[in-house]
Amino acid sequence: MHIKELDYLSPATLAEACGLLHSGGPGAKVFAGGTDILPDLKRGRVNAASLISLAGLDGLKKIEKRNSTQPHPSTLYPLPSTLFLGPLVTPDALDRSALVREIFPGLSEAAASMAANQVRGLATLGGNLCSAVPSADLPPSLLTAEAELVLTARDGERRLALKDFFLGPRKTALRLEEILTGILIPELPRGTGTAYDKFQARDASALAIVGAAARLTVKDNKIVKALVAIGACAPTPLLIAAAGEFLAGKEPSGQNFARAGELAAQAIKPISDLRGSAQYRREICRVLTIRVLKRAFERA
Amino acid sequence: MLKNITLNVNGDNHTLAVRPNETLQDLLRTGLGLTGTKKGCESGVCGACTVLIDGEPRNSCIVLAVSVDGKKITTIEGLAKDGNLHPLQASFIHNGAVQCGYCTPGMLMSAKALIDKNPNPSEEEIKRAFGGNLCRCTGYVKIIEAIKGWKDFSGDKQNVIPGDATGSVGRSLHRKDAPDKVTGRARYTGDMNLPGMLHGKILTSPMAHAKIKSIDTSAAEKLPGVKAVITWKDVSETLYGVSPARYDEHVLAKDRVRYVGDEIAAVAAVDEATAAEALDLIKVEFEALPEVFTIEDAMKEGAPVLHEKYPSNVNVDVNYTFGDMEKGFAEADLVLEQRYQGNRTYQSPMEPHATLARWETGGRLTLWTSTQVPHYVQHMLARVLEIPMGRIRVIRPAVGGGFGVKAETTPLDFCSAYLAKKTGRPVMMKYDRKEMLRHGRGRHMQYIDLKIGVKKDGAITAVDMTAYLDGGAYTSFGIVATYYSGAMVPTLYKLPNYKFKGHRVYTNLPACGAFRGHGCPHPRFAFESMLSVIAEKLGLDEIEVRLKNAMTPNTLTANELEVISCEFKATLEQARDASGWREKKGKLPRGKGIGVGCGGFVSGAGYPIYRSDFPHSNAMIRVLEDGTASTLFIAASDIGQGSDTVLCQVAAEELGVPYDSILMSDCDSDIAPLDLGSYSSRVTLMAGNAVKMAAANVKSKLFVFAGRKLGVSPDELEAKAGRIYAKSDTAIGLPWDEAARLAFSQGGPLVGTGCYQPPKKLGGKHKGAAVGTSPAYSFGTTVVEVEVDLETGKTKVTNCTDFHDSGKVLNPSAAHGQVHGAVVMSIGETLTENVQFTGSGDVANPTLNDYLIPTSMETPRIHSGFVESHEPRGPFGAKEIGEGAALPVIGALANAIYDATGVRITELPITPEKILNGLKALKDGSRP
Repeated sequence: MHIKELDYLSPATLAEACGLLHSGGPGAKVFAGGTDILPDLKRGRVNAASLISLAGLDGLKKIEKRNSTQPHPSTLYPLPSTLFLGPLVTPDALDRSALVREIFPGLSEAAASMAANQVRGLATLGGNLCSAVPSADLPPSLLTAEAELVLTARDGERRLALKDFFLGPRKTALRLEEILTGILIPELPRGTGTAYDKFQARDASALAIVGAAARLTVKDNKIVKALVAIGACAPTPLLIAAAGEFLAGKEPSGQNFARAGELAAQAIKPISDLRGSAQYRREICRVLTIRVLKRAFERA
Repeated sequence: MLKNITLNVNGDNHTLAVRPNETLQDLLRTGLGLTGTKKGCESGVCGACTVLIDGEPRNSCIVLAVSVDGKKITTIEGLAKDGNLHPLQASFIHNGAVQCGYCTPGMLMSAKALIDKNPNPSEEEIKRAFGGNLCRCTGYVKIIEAIKGWKDFSGDKQNVIPGDATGSVGRSLHRKDAPDKVTGRARYTGDMNLPGMLHGKILTSPMAHAKIKSIDTSAAEKLPGVKAVITWKDVSETLYGVSPARYDEHVLAKDRVRYVGDEIAAVAAVDEATAAEALDLIKVEFEALPEVFTIEDAMKEGAPVLHEKYPSNVNVDVNYTFGDMEKGFAEADLVLEQRYQGNRTYQSPMEPHATLARWETGGRLTLWTSTQVPHYVQHMLARVLEIPMGRIRVIRPAVGGGFGVKAETTPLDFCSAYLAKKTGRPVMMKYDRKEMLRHGRGRHMQYIDLKIGVKKDGAITAVDMTAYLDGGAYTSFGIVATYYSGAMVPTLYKLPNYKFKGHRVYTNLPACGAFRGHGCPHPRFAFESMLSVIAEKLGLDEIEVRLKNAMTPNTLTANELEVISCEFKATLEQARDASGWREKKGKLPRGKGIGVGCGGFVSGAGYPIYRSDFPHSNAMIRVLEDGTASTLFIAASDIGQGSDTVLCQVAAEELGVPYDSILMSDCDSDIAPLDLGSYSSRVTLMAGNAVKMAAANVKSKLFVFAGRKLGVSPDELEAKAGRIYAKSDTAIGLPWDEAARLAFSQGGPLVGTGCYQPPKKLGGKHKGAAVGTSPAYSFGTTVVEVEVDLETGKTKVTNCTDFHDSGKVLNPSAAHGQVHGAVVMSIGETLTENVQFTGSGDVANPTLNDYLIPTSMETPRIHSGFVESHEPRGPFGAKEIGEGAALPVIGALANAIYDATGVRITELPITPEKILNGLKALKDGSRP
């Protein structure tokens, strides 16, 4: 296996990277960890005339708490308090970050469940989102985080809710000349717990058959807010609105979680493939939803 | 568009101009010659290419060289310092953590990164750190032990490697090849690089069944860098295969292709990329033929025919009966019938196939090939190329695992030879993972229709079994697989009446071949499952039922196979006691279960693959002139199992010298005499016997000179621990090396030879009686414990207790290593492995991401024990272990899952989905 001839460009600034992406046209691809694109290039699933490496952009590697007085290198954020995740943050870094574990343990769990040690240190959060593989592990947790993305192009930037980002398998709302430059997680209210669980055929180096993320905010034994998201069960990771709506205002009971599990199983659009049938995925989705809700509640 | 980068590799600074599309893996291997970094999957899954980048473990196959500018890289070659092994390396050697060695460099680099951060990792932390380092040989058990115990080898202790003068046999001596494998020095075929070497690739059919109307290679030939393109016109039309009765494969297809992957043309070019590009330029015009992908469809009236010689698509048909079936079933109190279904599994050795061919001046071919069977490769090349064997030299470098998939001559062997001839340059050819899967030769998927009759006390009265094997498009090992399917059933239990019918069916899929346990795992799964159902129905203990029918020593089986040594019953009893069977069976909470299964195998086939009177194993030993070392020349193929080590132990023991003084020659047909190779679990017994004879031969010559000097008759002498002495008075003697110097000074080169031929006339007179014959049989029992998640159906194997009768165990560490590997491989075959196909017959899961072999996370606690029998036909009483150890596991697991869930699955693999469906059916009141 080999990669066809291409160029590799290492811009030193974001502006330079945007300029190269613009001038490179459709053959220019943004290059982060390479764990998806390099095997794809070898298999001929993707073609690229040039790779624009983000490796030199240190600002994109940060994990930090921000508020409106601490601007992003290129923009201001009106969110009162935000967890900023740079797109070059690796799953390994997410897993090891005390800050992430404290604020959003579900995301740490998702990061830890990915692939294997070596790959977790190479892959990136941005790549996991932009590759838009339906079974990707990080999107469900970030959907429950109501994460927003900063997308930067030569002529400016925009913000986009993650829920509007995924359009289909390997298809996103990212425009040809845009680079994902930040992932913003709004502050979670007190009393919030998060969790992620993944069902896989073997316990390392395997893709999710179902991935389930939950976030629960509980006050006075009432669910104030609930979010459930499922991966690998539709053309895109799905936020299960019905489950969240059902749980809101209810008691965090096993019975209610069970109902939410059923709603999630109904809402997904799974296919039958090598890893499992659609019917089986629905059942696993139900089981996993209940499990992550319980765990999120324990953490709330 | 070269880019300049600077790198520090293992402490040395390099300024290099690299191509932007070059991976770090290729830069290290090709650019810097650091071939210890292995190529296993090229897509970031197997971990064989793991290196440290600034101290962090990374897959170098998915890192661009240009992206590591300015970084510090450590490869396996940089692990040992100043000639001293790193403690991890010493620990790997000492703990027997190295088998084929192909995953070893990556494992060690991951281990280094782990202990640098966490010097005292827990077992769980170790397992997790290695989820991305796949190993197919060891079952990870000894690797985990080696990492746990690494500190024992730090400081002064690191290079303490025993090799003293006391006896060799029966001791866990260090593997001969381990030092090379832990340092990255071991050379596999794909690591080689000869001056002027070209790279070849094969164009295979995208169609499952089609006529070839035309092949146009003109555009490919014109591509700059392409040196030769060959099609059927350039190669012999002699058909080849494995069994002479069914040679049905062409080197390159002339007018017809029969599966997606059938070979059509081959290209040699200056590099792999150019060769691959050239393949895209070859235009082949096909006319589609009707395809058939299942046994059922292929056996239908009017089904498309693959080979006109077999109009029914059944290319092997077996039918034999021993005893009186009617009487046997009439005597039974209970008769059960059930269809079981196996799965198509693939060996997935960590080293992909590779061959390097070079024609020498004067018209001799040298072929370096990753094979289990150098002799058969030499034989088959001679047939197809129509030149004498004397003009073909086959060299087997280190082999990174085989498990049967490297037991036949491959298209790479033929095509590289033709391309090298045509270009006059060496040609390297390799498969990638997808090409491996497409070429196939994995396990035959079998349907087993099984009927067993028993008395109330569990005594078997009759067994009627019919097997249907999905053969794929060609025969490969199919005749043997079909016969084995039936022949091995009566070796384990005494069957008074036995009938077997076997049908192997052609389909438009990759051919199936030989895979660990050859033909037997699916029948074994069926039989062991049904025995446990029988026990339950009769209210008997599962182990008691097995004991009731178990084979005993010195027995002629129903199908006339000679069992001499046999401690099968003891393996059942010991596995029962060590596993806590009595305390656990039927008493575990729901979701937890325990199950038993049994199996055994031949210790080498009684007859060779093609007819000849040649001894099956042959050995030479040459004593170094000063007597301080002896070289063993034998072409028995160590493909990772450790047979070279065991053979050196046999030589040392018989010669009476220290193990360390035995050297192993290269496996080279110009140097070492014929050996049939590594298949049918034959090496320890057959090659072991040949080596023992060669050593005895050396000793008898030596005793003449020693006796003369000592004034003692040669018959009265004995050699042990580096000394030769009189049996009657050990004080009368001399050092072994002194005797050897004397022998050389007075008689010239001191050489001994040995040759082993299995006993003549093994087996009965029925058709196919040769298959299943062996000098000796192994026996074993495995008890496994599982936890099944009742909500998802997922099975976790937690414990495994295995007892085997492998005769005298020559190297316990190596033998346990075989058991660990067999257990974990079989867990994969039972739970997750299955080659699947698209609607058009292409492999649907051709990567290690989709074809799921077990990772370190799947490894259970394994307790492996031996019940040593003494096999009179084995060297020092030894028998096989490598294949027999795999056979009990599938049935044991199926039984444990039943115990945990009440769900009896009769189709492999036993996926979570099948278990969950079964649980649902139980709940709904219908039988699953």
